[in-house]
Amino acid sequence: MTSPLDTTVCPRCEQSTVRVMTTSPVPGAWTMHVCDTCFYSYRSTEGPTATDPASFPQDWKVDPADIPGMLAMPPVPQRRG
Amino acid sequence: MAYADLREFLETLRKNNQLLNYSDPVRPEPDLSSAAAATTNLTDRGPALLFDTIEGYEQGKARVALNVVGSWPNHALMLGMAKDTPVKEQFFEFAERGEAFPGRVERRTDAPWQEHTLTEGIDLFQILPLFRLNEHDVGSYIDKAIVVTRDPDDPEHFGKQNAGIYRIQVKDKDRLGIQPLAAHDIGLHLHKAEERGENLPIAIAIGNEPVISTVGGMPLAYDQSEYEMAAAIQGAPYRIAKAPLTGLDVPWGSEVILEGEIICGEREIEGPFGEFTGYYSGARSQPVIRVTRVSHRTDPIFEHLYLGKPWTEMDYALALNTSVPLYRQLKADFPEVVAVNAMYTQGLLGIISVKQRFGGHAKAVGMRAMTTPHGLAYCKVIIVDDDDIDPFNLAQVMWALSVRFHPQHDLVTVPNGSVLALDPSSDPDGIVHKVVIDATTPISPETRGHYAHEVANPSATAAWETLLKGLIT
Ligand SMILES: [Zn+2]
Repeated sequence: MTSPLDTTVCPRCEQSTVRVMTTSPVPGAWTMHVCDTCFYSYRSTEGPTATDPASFPQDWKVDPADIPGMLAMPPVPQRRG
Repeated sequence: MAYADLREFLETLRKNNQLLNYSDPVRPEPDLSSAAAATTNLTDRGPALLFDTIEGYEQGKARVALNVVGSWPNHALMLGMAKDTPVKEQFFEFAERGEAFPGRVERRTDAPWQEHTLTEGIDLFQILPLFRLNEHDVGSYIDKAIVVTRDPDDPEHFGKQNAGIYRIQVKDKDRLGIQPLAAHDIGLHLHKAEERGENLPIAIAIGNEPVISTVGGMPLAYDQSEYEMAAAIQGAPYRIAKAPLTGLDVPWGSEVILEGEIICGEREIEGPFGEFTGYYSGARSQPVIRVTRVSHRTDPIFEHLYLGKPWTEMDYALALNTSVPLYRQLKADFPEVVAVNAMYTQGLLGIISVKQRFGGHAKAVGMRAMTTPHGLAYCKVIIVDDDDIDPFNLAQVMWALSVRFHPQHDLVTVPNGSVLALDPSSDPDGIVHKVVIDATTPISPETRGHYAHEVANPSATAAWETLLKGLIT
């Protein structure tokens, strides 16, 4: 079973940075996709709210512009002398 | 009673009818996490779940174990006690065994996970049936593994080597995100490594006997070894083995060992992830791990933990871990403390029973709980009961609250206390008012209310409890 959806656009950040991460050990069962911008990943067998940019809930989307400014936890310390 | 590995513990659960081996085909999402949540929703005496037919994997080649200590009977069996042991008895047993710290470790070179090694073309999804736990999690997580790191400034110090449990996002076939909070031992290790400009070697041990998973969530001093605590809790030397790439000490019995490095200076978006509070934590910029070596058994079992709205396995797994240290710290100052139940959302709410010495004593005990190391981030609501109340018996706690608590006299509010930022009520994050609810009977010089004539159980009740035990199921 393969997803009929557009698998190049990230359902979460809507960037065209989705690629196939891996496929099921039993061929054809599923494909795992991952986004190289927001690191969201999903399986082709999940529902449209997980796999389809148009159905992905608005509340859980991320704006790629916000990613670089996100709080570092923990912060990177200064190098010693 | 010591279990050599996860498989031996699962076998014990099976013999005690506390393991459900489910062999019908299941979908990675949403079946696996739904089954785990359903079990703890239905009962606090439920079985561990073992799935061996997962869509996309050959039957038996990929197995998932969930809810391994997700109930009181399973928790009792972990301690080698009878499965019907009451929680209060498990509490006192756990507290007593902790006194044997430090126990001994047994170093071995013949770990079963040495069977298979991978150093190239690593794809964790081919080895483990990874899956999304909650609908809005950013991806698959590993959240019950023992994560081992050393102090880069003192790498030979066994006690400073840390074995803890942290949330780990699977970001790619061989790339992980991790949340090492600054206050955690691993956070200190990473801080030192990054000050030195070095990557931090890391080993991640997946699928373990339950005691090390319990101890992995225990607040120990920085230089105290989790393996020596696991030995104390299980009452036998703890078996460890050296991970081949990093030389880190990992459990002998693990199913899978991942090794690699936390990359110096790198931070990358991680989350959201459904947390133990019952709410999601948002996305943050967090450290990244590159996995370069995998060792594993044949057909390894992916032991995983469903996390979400309580109660989940985590609440059972951390219940006594949280309660016992608080009990010991309080008892050091106040020997009148009888027992502590701090198992609600890791002790955000705690219940203390105490033999009150004078009016106002219980309130002092309650406030002391808030100033213990754990209390600084938890203990938002503290209920204090008399010593006739079993704090693990909520019917008794609620009774005391309903008749012994006077809202005008017995509520102490501490404004703007510290709390973990994950507490959704905190505002700003990490700050919250705290309360002591004194549900003890007023005693001199605090004389009020009408408590002289309490009803006792009929005189032969205790004898009948013994007689009826086993007759009533
Ligand atoms: Zn994305």
